[in-house]
Amino acid sequence: MEVSDKKQSKGKLIASGIIPFAFLVVLVVYIFGPGSDVLDLGVPLPEITMEKIDFVDSEIQVTVRNTGPIPVEIVMADINDRIQPAAVEPDGLLERYETALVRIPFAWNDAEPYRIGLTIEDGTRFEKEIEAAAPALQPSLELVGFFALIGTYVGIIPVMIGLLWLPFIKRISKQKYHFFLALTVGLLLFLAIDSIEEALDVSEENLAASFNGVLLVATVIVLSFLGLYYAGEKLVKRAVASTASSRISKPVAIALMISIGIGLHNFGEGLAIGAAVGLGSIAFSTFLIVGFALHNTTEGIAIAAPMSRGKGVVGKAMILKLAALGLIAGSPAIFGAWIGGFVYSPFTSVIFLAVGAGAIFQVIVVIMKWIRSEGDKNFSSAAVVAGLAAGMLVMYLTSILV
Amino acid sequence: MIKSSSRIMIASIIVIVTISALYITFPESINAQLEGNIFATHTGGTISTTGVVIDPVYTTTTDPQYTEATVEFDPMEYLREFNYGTVSTLPDGTTLREFTIIAEDDQIMEVSPGIFFNVWTFNGTVPGPTIRATEGDIVRINFINNGAKSHTMHFHGIHPAEMDGVFEIVGPGGGQFTYEFEAGPVGVHPYHCHVMPLEEHIVRGLYGVFIVDPKESRPAADEMVMVLNGLDMDFDGENNFYAANTIPFYYQNNPIQINTDELIRIYVVNMVEFDPINNLHLHGNLYNYYPTGTSLVPSVYTDMITLSQTERGIIEFEYKYPGKYLFHAHKVEFSEKGWVGIFQVNNNSQDKKSAENVDYGS
Repeated sequence: MEVSDKKQSKGKLIASGIIPFAFLVVLVVYIFGPGSDVLDLGVPLPEITMEKIDFVDSEIQVTVRNTGPIPVEIVMADINDRIQPAAVEPDGLLERYETALVRIPFAWNDAEPYRIGLTIEDGTRFEKEIEAAAPALQPSLELVGFFALIGTYVGIIPVMIGLLWLPFIKRISKQKYHFFLALTVGLLLFLAIDSIEEALDVSEENLAASFNGVLLVATVIVLSFLGLYYAGEKLVKRAVASTASSRISKPVAIALMISIGIGLHNFGEGLAIGAAVGLGSIAFSTFLIVGFALHNTTEGIAIAAPMSRGKGVVGKAMILKLAALGLIAGSPAIFGAWIGGFVYSPFTSVIFLAVGAGAIFQVIVVIMKWIRSEGDKNFSSAAVVAGLAAGMLVMYLTSILV
Repeated sequence: MIKSSSRIMIASIIVIVTISALYITFPESINAQLEGNIFATHTGGTISTTGVVIDPVYTTTTDPQYTEATVEFDPMEYLREFNYGTVSTLPDGTTLREFTIIAEDDQIMEVSPGIFFNVWTFNGTVPGPTIRATEGDIVRINFINNGAKSHTMHFHGIHPAEMDGVFEIVGPGGGQFTYEFEAGPVGVHPYHCHVMPLEEHIVRGLYGVFIVDPKESRPAADEMVMVLNGLDMDFDGENNFYAANTIPFYYQNNPIQINTDELIRIYVVNMVEFDPINNLHLHGNLYNYYPTGTSLVPSVYTDMITLSQTERGIIEFEYKYPGKYLFHAHKVEFSEKGWVGIFQVNNNSQDKKSAENVDYGS
């Protein structure tokens, strides 16, 4: 009797959950179907977005997406407002959000500006301006090596150098140690804001309004934060539960979380660097690389700070761990540069930059908790406040170099 | 138990999101490849594509199965089509030429392949019909306005004020007016709607050519009409297309067939708006130019004339050598937006020397 009651109430529960949803489905079906005439007010304006323009051998290739509310047909292409015969693959008829590749044969000149125009069936012309034509990067061993070198310079080496502060941080007093932890928070806060700014910039310039760039970035940041926070808590708990036997102590677990967060951020940074080279929008100068390197050295400190309270002495095992953490944090810059340079897509860039920002926020929360549990259960000590301020300031000053 | 199932759920959500993100980002690499098409570029190279070629090669189909266009316009037909009207003789012996012209403003024209534009028309085309009379004839136009806006017909030429088509607005939905005047002066003149906003009524297509022949006719020739016009598709006050006779690149893709040693006479009228000037350059030849066609003596022998709004004239030339010759605006922007064509000069007779036999440099 009781069982069947339970079953009945469970059935009711499911039904009560489904009924509003069913009504919603009916509403949507009605609006799209018989009710569509009633709501058919106003004139929907077509919109297309040229997301990517590649300059290949005697040809300009445009990746175009229908970002408007109605289907469109691409019927004409022009370069600098002069009509050109072209091909559109697979075809010019684009449903909402569908993309096509428009191939325009054109003997373009290196480093010159071009305006690429596409016209749709009602005669509306859309234009995108390229500041300087540069050949699309074709993956070659040489280029792969070039990007790996840049990634190493701006990612791995600076982070490793930053880690060398570990013995120093290990010896200092608790107050000073808190200062360094707070400094780390400041550094990371700056990096997170930097990533968000970059993500918003890319979405503003390259993504259509229909992607809701700002909300896309916000959503991805929150999802990335929640995902990593959940995983991180699990990792730390496991580390604490098996302190005696585990190879991962709590400080190492926290350092690992920070490394992963910074790694995700550096992946986004690598993407930006690779894309900038690929799109020809910047010339890569030694000065710029030096700037990035100085900037990223501070990331090593962020990893070293929690590690310094690990129980082990600075031995061989510790050095190996540190090196691994440095690689986790730094090497994604290389992968980012490869992807950004060879298969750049503004959409993926925005996503990865936002993931990076969410990851860093997660790291910030972890370190704040660490400071709280380590210390006096407050964040208003002179050391913490000064550390935060110094972190932001150092990052700002080094960012001027980039 | 609950934990592991939630883990599986999270994992599957991540997988789904990743795959759909990949699909949104790189759809072209996921889609299957189609068979190849080959097309020629403007510089003569060929490109092979798996997609669809978008090249402004105009066809005159108005089959409703394939197009939403309602205007049927064949630039090749228009080129040599002259309308002399319904001819009768008045009691005093003067020739009367009667025409019926209907204005509409709801027609859709495929102005270039795949591009549809709402044009305003006289007798269903842009330009309207070429009206032709001899000096001194009485021209009577029964004008009917079937449009949704007011329209008139304003002829350039000599006529009484009330026949000027400016203040006698003809209302929409069947409004009528009869224009009657003596044809003159000799030459080539435009006619167009003169309702405000005037620029809009002109650029939408309400214009045509009015030819007044001298009483003693000009020498026999292969005669053509070329209205140099432009289309502002996006209403930004700049032309997106330029052409001779409306359709961009038409005479380039469909060369005009002419013969060597035959007199060619072209009535040229510039109806381009927005841009202050237009011009006409002929390749491999020079022509005699008769501004406005009012004099029977050419004013200049040249290969380049400059025309302002509604400026017009007659050009006459003969080709000595057969082959393909371009004619186009030497304001090259216009030619790259459609105002370009080709004369295919064919050998008139066998006994005349052909280009192959000419000893260049001797």
